[in-house]
Amino acid sequence: MTISQVKPGQEFFVTQVLLQRELGKRLADMGFTRGARGRVVRRGLWGGPLQIQILGYDLAIRRTEAQGIQVEALVS
Amino acid sequence: MKTLKIALAGNPNSGKTTIFNALTGARQRVGNYAGVTVEKKEGRCQWQDWDIQVFDLPGIYSLTAYSLDEVVARDFLLEETPDVIVNVLDSTNLERNLYLTLQFMDLGIPLVGALNVADQAQRQGIEIDAGVLHQGLGIPLVKTSGAKAQGLEDLLAQAVQAFQAQARPPKIPFSAAVEAWLEPLEKTLQTLEPSRPRWLAVKLLEKDAGAWEKIAALPGAPGVKDLLNQAWASLEKTLGRDPEILISEERYGFLHGLCAQALRRRQTGPSTTQKVDAVVLNPILGLPIFFLVLWGIFQLTFTLGAFPQEWLEGFFAWSQNSLKTLIPPGLVQSLVVDGIIGGVGGVLSFVPLVVILFTFLSVLEDTGYMSRSAFLMDKFLHIFGLHGQSFLPMMLGFGCSVPAMMAARSLKSPRDRIITVLVIPFMNCGAKLPIHVLFAAVFFPENPGIMVMVIYLTGIFLAFGSAWIFRKTVLRGQDTPFVMELPPYRLPTLGKVLLHVGEKSWMYLRKAGTVILAASVLVWAATTFPQAPEGTPPDKAMETTLAGMTGKVLEPAFAPMGFDWKVAVATLTGFAAKEVVVSTLGVLYSVDGDATEENESLKQALKADPQFSPLTAFILMLFMLILAPCIAAQATIRSEIGGRWLGFFWVYSLALAWGLGVGIYQVGKLFGIGG
Repeated sequence: MTISQVKPGQEFFVTQVLLQRELGKRLADMGFTRGARGRVVRRGLWGGPLQIQILGYDLAIRRTEAQGIQVEALVS
Repeated sequence: MKTLKIALAGNPNSGKTTIFNALTGARQRVGNYAGVTVEKKEGRCQWQDWDIQVFDLPGIYSLTAYSLDEVVARDFLLEETPDVIVNVLDSTNLERNLYLTLQFMDLGIPLVGALNVADQAQRQGIEIDAGVLHQGLGIPLVKTSGAKAQGLEDLLAQAVQAFQAQARPPKIPFSAAVEAWLEPLEKTLQTLEPSRPRWLAVKLLEKDAGAWEKIAALPGAPGVKDLLNQAWASLEKTLGRDPEILISEERYGFLHGLCAQALRRRQTGPSTTQKVDAVVLNPILGLPIFFLVLWGIFQLTFTLGAFPQEWLEGFFAWSQNSLKTLIPPGLVQSLVVDGIIGGVGGVLSFVPLVVILFTFLSVLEDTGYMSRSAFLMDKFLHIFGLHGQSFLPMMLGFGCSVPAMMAARSLKSPRDRIITVLVIPFMNCGAKLPIHVLFAAVFFPENPGIMVMVIYLTGIFLAFGSAWIFRKTVLRGQDTPFVMELPPYRLPTLGKVLLHVGEKSWMYLRKAGTVILAASVLVWAATTFPQAPEGTPPDKAMETTLAGMTGKVLEPAFAPMGFDWKVAVATLTGFAAKEVVVSTLGVLYSVDGDATEENESLKQALKADPQFSPLTAFILMLFMLILAPCIAAQATIRSEIGGRWLGFFWVYSLALAWGLGVGIYQVGKLFGIGG
């Protein structure tokens, strides 16, 4: 599944980032590497960005980009 | 005295600027405009017998060339080689902050880490064992607090020591598979380009285009390329990963292990930031709160600002009257009283408003709420082809277009930057505010605040509309990604806000003292010479002057909007600086009116002028909002996105301002409103 399918409040770990080179590298720089654990904090209104917590900090990411981040949701 | 050159570098929101301010105090030079640290900030401090030069680099996440900020920081480190890099680290977020540290270590420049805001980390239940971190990284680490000015002496001492020892940070090895390729690569590079081979080797392995450019022209480049191709193929085959991602993964892998040893996290309840976010980013409450904040800022600015504004106005009126009795009537009196005090004084009385507005904007920026507003607004902005990160520069546009346009450098894609820069002038800037406040007060006395807000909203609407049009026509193309940190909320420190507001206000004052003073004198001269023959009635005297004649020439263009030549003159002088519009009107009307009459104020003169009705007053406000910005802003458009776009902007804004002005006036007349 992709990170945009993770429910708010649910934890995940990253399996793969399938995005064009530059953005993929940026997300890797920001901590989206294989095995990294994080949590979807909330989703923006009307299909707005996702707020994601990873490595203990929060970041916002648009859903189109979020669809390129493959994750596995953790059962809470 | 011994000298030392330090670069302060680190992630955005790591507290770099606070440390910079604490170190250098007032002894700093900020390129031209401060606030958003894109320009190089430079300062000095003394430690024992060392004279230390400190550079505050823009906050970055990585040493790639993803954004302009990163390019600036990277070029500085590589080309101006500081003696020591002081890496400011946010202790509440070490794992990601140290990722940049590992890249600095590859540069081979002496490196000192500042574990900043350690007290905050402690409050969040994070216990940091600096000894373990130091052992793992092999670089000196100092606990600091920029806000409380703690640990700074120690930090400088460590920096000096690292410099004296020429301590190269140790090499943190990657996995054996990666090192097997890095080592030969490093050796080859050393023969080509002996400085920073390790950094270059890693960057080349990461397929970094900028790093390749550095060596592409060297004779041994083809050999390096062969080696790289082999390395990429082999690594992809054996590890099944793109090498650039592999490097990031291994770095984070190392840091994950290190932080697991060095950090102890106590379970704590939700942090203050999480609690605040739950409210201000709430799906239902988020946007209303945001608009309430905006509305509150404008209301407070105008109600609080009104008092000092009245005092200043009173003071200038008093000094005009006293000078009239001191200086005998004639050209000198006219120059001083009407030209200089009338012009500059009219502008200075708006300083309190500007200071208050800048204070609020600075607080919003420092607390971290600005990035929340980008989160809330991205979906909306995206509809118009803008980027969530365009929002902060646009908001800054309410203060002054110049730093706002410079802040747009944080946008990665050139197209987003161009659009943002082009629409910023529609965000009503602080210098245009005096015009709106003046006309709203005279012609909409019941609700001046609402009227000013309408102008602001119109500006916002035009900005979005224009962005949409640009995106559909001249600036088509793919969307750029939106990936933005939401930093923890921080209380803005009084010192930082004061420094920031002080800088901005000083800029405004300096403008008043130079550009506006010069413009006022010029306007006075243009409205005085050539003098009308003796005995011309005062209300006709202006028409023979240079300004009057130019205005008359332009009058046909202004007439369809319901304006006469006086507005044409004010518009022309407005290009020097928008505040000058008010002072020009001051000069125009004081010459026009009966000079012997007691204190005929500009407001009364405007009210008495038959060309102004609520309708034309509104059109004037709108016209001034849209029309080409001041010289300084135009120069900034040119330097940020080029002369071609400046030309485009000119044509576009002129057509829009004139078209709307004429349209509204003609329709208004048709329906018998004003006119």
